[in-house]
Amino acid sequence: MEATREIYWNVGHGVVWPMYTIFGIAISVFLYGFYRRFVVYRQGKALNRNDRLPERILLFLKTMVAQTRVLRVHGPGFLHAFFFWSFGLLFIGTLLIMVQVDFTQPILGVIFLKGTFYKLYSLMLDIAGIVAIITLGGLLVRRFFYKPEGLETIKDDYVVHAMLLAILVTGFVIEGLRMAATELRNNPELAVFSPVGMLFGKLFLGVTPGSLSLAHKIQWWIHFLIAMSFIAIVPFTKLRHIFTTPANYLFTDLAPKGSITTINMEDEGTGRFGAAKVADLAWKDIFDADACTACKRCQDRCPAHATGKPLSPMKIVKQIGDVAFNNPGAGLVETLGADALWACTTCRACQDICPANIEHVNKILEMRRNLALMEGSFPGNEVRTAVSNIEVNGNPFGLAFASRGEWADGLGVKIMQQDSDVDVLYFVGCYASFDKRNREIARSFIQICNAADIRVGMLGKEEKCCGEPVRKMGNEYLYQMVAAGNIEVIKGYGVKKIVTTCPHCFNTLGQDYRDLGLDIHVEHYSTFVNGLISGNKLKLKPESFEFTYHDSCYLGRYRDIIAEPRAVLKSAGGQIVEMDLSGYESFCCGGGGGRILAEEKLGTRISMARVKMAQATRAPLLVSNCPFCLTMIEDGIKTGDSEGKLKALDLAEIIASRIGG
Amino acid sequence: MKLLVCIKQVPDMASRFKVNGNGIWYDEADLAFRMNEYDEFAVEQAVRLKEQLGNEPDITVLSIGPDRVIEPIKKALAMGCDRGVHIQDSASYRKDPWQIASAIAGFSHGKNFDLIFTGMQSQDRGSAQVGAILAELLGINCVTTVVGFAIDNRVVTAKRELEGGVKGVVKFSLPALVTCHLGLNTPRYPTLPNIMKAKKKELLTFPITDFLQEKEMTVTASAYAPARKGSGILLEGDVNDVAERLYGILKDKTTVVK
Repeated sequence: MEATREIYWNVGHGVVWPMYTIFGIAISVFLYGFYRRFVVYRQGKALNRNDRLPERILLFLKTMVAQTRVLRVHGPGFLHAFFFWSFGLLFIGTLLIMVQVDFTQPILGVIFLKGTFYKLYSLMLDIAGIVAIITLGGLLVRRFFYKPEGLETIKDDYVVHAMLLAILVTGFVIEGLRMAATELRNNPELAVFSPVGMLFGKLFLGVTPGSLSLAHKIQWWIHFLIAMSFIAIVPFTKLRHIFTTPANYLFTDLAPKGSITTINMEDEGTGRFGAAKVADLAWKDIFDADACTACKRCQDRCPAHATGKPLSPMKIVKQIGDVAFNNPGAGLVETLGADALWACTTCRACQDICPANIEHVNKILEMRRNLALMEGSFPGNEVRTAVSNIEVNGNPFGLAFASRGEWADGLGVKIMQQDSDVDVLYFVGCYASFDKRNREIARSFIQICNAADIRVGMLGKEEKCCGEPVRKMGNEYLYQMVAAGNIEVIKGYGVKKIVTTCPHCFNTLGQDYRDLGLDIHVEHYSTFVNGLISGNKLKLKPESFEFTYHDSCYLGRYRDIIAEPRAVLKSAGGQIVEMDLSGYESFCCGGGGGRILAEEKLGTRISMARVKMAQATRAPLLVSNCPFCLTMIEDGIKTGDSEGKLKALDLAEIIASRIGG
Repeated sequence: MKLLVCIKQVPDMASRFKVNGNGIWYDEADLAFRMNEYDEFAVEQAVRLKEQLGNEPDITVLSIGPDRVIEPIKKALAMGCDRGVHIQDSASYRKDPWQIASAIAGFSHGKNFDLIFTGMQSQDRGSAQVGAILAELLGINCVTTVVGFAIDNRVVTAKRELEGGVKGVVKFSLPALVTCHLGLNTPRYPTLPNIMKAKKKELLTFPITDFLQEKEMTVTASAYAPARKGSGILLEGDVNDVAERLYGILKDKTTVVK
């Protein structure tokens, strides 16, 4: 007897018309639901996310099919991925039946669900069904019984879990009823290829044929109607993420990480800057709210949220969606809260982990731009002072601009104004130039360069703040003013390579300044020094030490520079003890996003939380690669009563102390 | 209502000052300039008054000096003033307060300003005379060191900062001149649309000779940095130890502790 089964067994081919009618209704509701949402997305400004299509499609397929983003968090990610794969197989299985019974068979006379293929098909679907039930069970227990902190359960969750479970269980019940009446009686060898169905079937073996037939018909319709309802409610519930989240992979921002739109100051256009209303955001910013599954992975990693500040990246995304759908005229800042918006350190931990490729940071920046450019607001008066200091003296401390290069007196650094014949231009940055503690970084870097016979030049009093902190605080105007000044000076000297000791300067000069016309290779000193060591230009006298390493956000998450600084420290004799949160999962020091200029008035100190993490490694030394980080961490050591227990040094200081050999 | 705000551009006080070649003022090399802090309070108060009166008042902002003073004028326009007046004088530092006030009076004559706002003093010269002399020359009421300002039906109630933290309240009618002091307000940060609008506002330039015929009454003989009288002591180390040493020093060298 050939391995196959009768499609529409017991229910008969008569169900085709009512079935497709209901299916048609379900699809119509589905399409209507998404159309209504589409109209809401369209409130946002235009943004092209259809360029580089082949790349996008590949990314979309890879990320969705392999569930790579979802799997970055192991436990629930694993459950979701297996549920996705198994439910996907079941969907394909159902589709194959439809293709055969309603298309290839009546039109072409082709039956492919037979023989070995049918056996494999049957076995695969049974396994998929049971895997789906088990993983759904796992997700259900997690959501309703052992709920992790911060996971919000809404009405949708009950509906979705119940429907999915009902679809899966009724599927097996139908299979069992059919098998009890057919395969289990007349083709037991085939029945083993439906192991789960067989188990269900055995339950029904004692039932009379008439009852089996009736029960099967009822179950068939129940299963079908739940499945159709499932399709119909997709756009109206969280289920929409089945479509919106993968679509977000397709619409991923392919620009380099951390790219921010450079506002054209000449174009007065509407005279409105930043986002006050949802209509000021891009359509993608509204769409992101629909792609969000409220998995709260962003919130779990947000340093502001972890230290009691009123910011949750997830809430920001959801609230924007809420405003767009329910109250499009509402003011974004009023709804989301200025304190929440100012609390962001732009550390990108949220965006890096998001399984839906949502862009949290730029939304916050757009709203900050509105606050800064349209309202002239600041998170505090200390920031107002720092900003006005940058305007006048080109540094947030308000120190005389002419004293910017004084740290280098006697170190043999060339001042470009006097002699621009150099190998590299060292863009020192404000902290290494003016802050007493951070000047050690600059001096150490020069010692390293001198040891490697690198001729270093600096702009001295011609250098201004790179503009990063004020840009992240929303003040695009001042950013562009200082940037234009720096670019003009740098271009004037025919510089070939720029090295920075600050990851913020590094990102700003190397990436942000491109939009303003600076196209020169910019390197952070950690990779530069790594190159000097591996190229045998710099000889070190390794000396053993134990340390833990703090990845600055703008080097690690933003620029993927994670291995190089570790390699440099290793060649200096360091043995690393990693913190629980390192590399891409590193926890911000609290100084990013312009927060270095601001007092931390809400919640507890982020820097203290980070210092505690470092202390948990029991390493006596915390090494960082950023003047902001060093400042924040030393602050955290002082205020967190960790003095004497943990010492903080910059990578440059360690290397400078081991020159020789 | 017609308002006039007089502002001055001064070096940032964090700058390193050096005496200039002729020995009577500071050398401008390597100095960062900004609007005199007290004048920012003056601009802010004028703009607040304009807003309070439904944008009816017309604000003229005036500054005397070389071309660089256009910068603070632009800032004042971005903060909300309506028209800029630049009285061109490449060596304004040589003019004494009497001449500066006379030049402004020369410009103001016949323009019937209802209210003139100036800073309490400039951060560089610090004479605190220009406002008072100007009011005298125009024959209008003058109230100095204002830290509170309210107007009702052309009668101003102003709070003044007096010596030793004492405040005084005065009422006066227009026309008048007030000099503004720290604490009067927090100057706004200009918004970008207002910075853009300011670029299109009227900016009039006149040579100072148009308004000034007066000779100076005072002449700066020389400018110099104060002689160093000993250097500071930096106490470092254990907090208890530092406190002990500080106590010792205060006891030996001052009358703070007996």
